[in-house]
Amino acid sequence: MNAGLQVLGLRASYRRGPEVVRGVDLTAARGTITALLGPNGSGKSTLLKAIVGLVESQGRVSLDGEDLHGLSPRERAQRLAYVPQRSLLSAPLLVHAVVSQGRFPHRRGLADLGAEDRRIVDRALQDADIAHLACRPFTELSGGEQQRVLLARALATGADVLLMDEPTSAQDVRHALELHEILGRLRERGAAILVCLHDLSEVLAIADQAVLLECGSVHASGPAAEIVQDRHITPVYGVELIQGGGLGFRLTAGGEE
Amino acid sequence: MNRLQVTWTVLVLALGAAVTLSFVVGEGDLSDDALRGTLLRLRAWRLANTMLAGSALAGAGVLVQGLFRNPLASPSILGTSAGATLGGVLVLVLWNSLLATRLAWIPPELILPAGCLIGAWLSLSILLAVTGRGASIVTVLLTGFILSSLFLSLGSLLMSLAQNTWELGRAVVAFTLGGVDAKGPRHAALAFPLVAVTSCVAMGWSRHLDLLLSGEEEAQSLGVDVTAARRWVIVWASTLTAAAVAIGGNVAFVGLVVPHALRPFTGPEHRVLTPAALVGGAAFLTAADVLTRLLPTAGTVPLGVVTGLVGAPLFLILLARASREGRMA
Repeated sequence: MNAGLQVLGLRASYRRGPEVVRGVDLTAARGTITALLGPNGSGKSTLLKAIVGLVESQGRVSLDGEDLHGLSPRERAQRLAYVPQRSLLSAPLLVHAVVSQGRFPHRRGLADLGAEDRRIVDRALQDADIAHLACRPFTELSGGEQQRVLLARALATGADVLLMDEPTSAQDVRHALELHEILGRLRERGAAILVCLHDLSEVLAIADQAVLLECGSVHASGPAAEIVQDRHITPVYGVELIQGGGLGFRLTAGGEE
Repeated sequence: MNRLQVTWTVLVLALGAAVTLSFVVGEGDLSDDALRGTLLRLRAWRLANTMLAGSALAGAGVLVQGLFRNPLASPSILGTSAGATLGGVLVLVLWNSLLATRLAWIPPELILPAGCLIGAWLSLSILLAVTGRGASIVTVLLTGFILSSLFLSLGSLLMSLAQNTWELGRAVVAFTLGGVDAKGPRHAALAFPLVAVTSCVAMGWSRHLDLLLSGEEEAQSLGVDVTAARRWVIVWASTLTAAAVAIGGNVAFVGLVVPHALRPFTGPEHRVLTPAALVGGAAFLTAADVLTRLLPTAGTVPLGVVTGLVGAPLFLILLARASREGRMA
C-alpha cells in the first residue's frame, strides 16, 4: 500500500457544540486524488479543517505512519497544505507575496526569501499557471484566479499532501477543467490530494478514490466509480443517477476557447 | 527611484522639516543670547518626547489594525489609550494615597508607565475576549467605544476623588489633559527603550501579521501559532500605547491616520509598513505639536485637538467607505 495520509476515528466539533465529524476513517495515498463527497452539512469542510488542526478534534491523523497530533502549527504546515474554499484576504498584497507566504513554515526572522525559497515559489506559480499574475494585487483577481493563487501558496509550502475545500465551486467550466489538469499533474508527481467536491461528475472525472459522508460519518468509501452509484448516492442525497446522461466538457486544443 | 524609495525620501524630508520647525517655532526669542540655550534645550526634550509618542502610537496602530484585520482600528478608537490613561490615573492615586511615603525614592515618572501598560493591556485583552474571533467591524468598533467611555468615566470618577488632595489632584489633572510641553529628559529616557525595543521586537512579528490578514484559519494552516501571535501582538501594542500615553496623554487618531496615509505607498506588508509608520508617526505628531504653537488661541492648545481635527474626519470617511463597500459585516 502507498504511503500517505491516514485518518482513524476522527471526531470534531466547534467550541463544545455537537459533533460535526463522528469517527471518520480514511486514507489518502500518495499519487492519488481522493474526493470527499456528501450533501451540504455532512461535515466535509470540518473534516478537512480537523485534519489540518483548525478545529478541535480527537482521533488519529498520521502521515507515513507519523502521528501529527502534538506537532506545532509550523511543523504541521510543512507536512499538510490546506487550500480554503476562498480567502478572507482583503488587503492588496501582490500575488507573489501571497504565494511566498507558503514558505512561512520554513523561515525565521525578516530576511528576504533565499535562493531555494525563490525557486520553490517560482515553481509553485508555474505549476498553478499564474506566473503572469505575480505582480498583480490579489484583491484585483477573479475568484478563479484567486483560487489558483491559494493553490500556488499551498504548493509553495513544499508539503506533498494537499487538502482542498471545493476548489472549483466559484469557477466556470474552463477554469475548473484547468484546475483538474493541474491536480492531475500533481498526482503524477506523487502528491496525496484530498479534495471536497460537490459535483459528482467532477468526482468521476478526476478522483481515484471517494469517501461519501453523511451526517459526519462515512457512508461508503472506495474507488470513485464504485461510490458514485445509485446504491450509495440515492440514500444519502435522495436523488437518482441518470445513466449516460449529463453534459461532459474538455479543454479545447491548446487550452483556448 | 521606485515608489518605496520616494516614500522614504518624503518621510525623511517631512520629519526633517517638522524637527526644524519644532526648534524654530514657539514662544520665546531665539535671537536672545541669554535665552537661546535654555529654549533650545527645552524644545529638544519636547521634540524627543513628541517623536517617541508619535512613533509609538503609529506603531501601535499598525499592530492593532493587523490584529483585527481592520484599517479602522487604532489605540484610541479601540479604547486602548483610554485604558492606559485609566491605568495611569489609578497608579497615581494609589501611589500618592498608599505607597508614596514608604517608597518615596521611586520617582512617579517610573511608576506611571507601568500603570499605563497594565491599563492598555487589560483594555485590549477585554476587547478581544468580548468580541471573540472573527467579530464584525461594527462589533469591534462599538465594543471599543463602550470600553473607551467606561474607562474615561472611571478616570473622571478617580479624578474627582483625587481633588481632596491638592497635590494629587493637580498631578492627575495634568496627566489626564496630556501634552508634551512640560516633558523632559526623564520621560524621554524612560520611553525611549520601551518604544525602541518594542518596535524592534514587534517588527519580528511582521510575517505573522501579514498572514493574519487572511484570517486566523488560513494563518494557522500556514504555520502561525495564532494564540501566541495574538498574545504577543497585544503585549507590543499595549506597551507602545502605554509609552505614548505616559508621555503625552490620550492623543487620539495618530494610530489611525499614519498607517492609513502610508499604506497606499508602502503596500500592506508589515515589514515595510511598520518602520515607515514609526517615522511617519514621529513626523505627524511633531508637525501637530508645531501647529499647536501656531494656532491663534489665547491659551495652549492640547496636542489631541490638532490630531482630532485631522483624524476624526478621516475616520468618518473610512467608515463611510467601509459601509459603502459592504465591509461592515
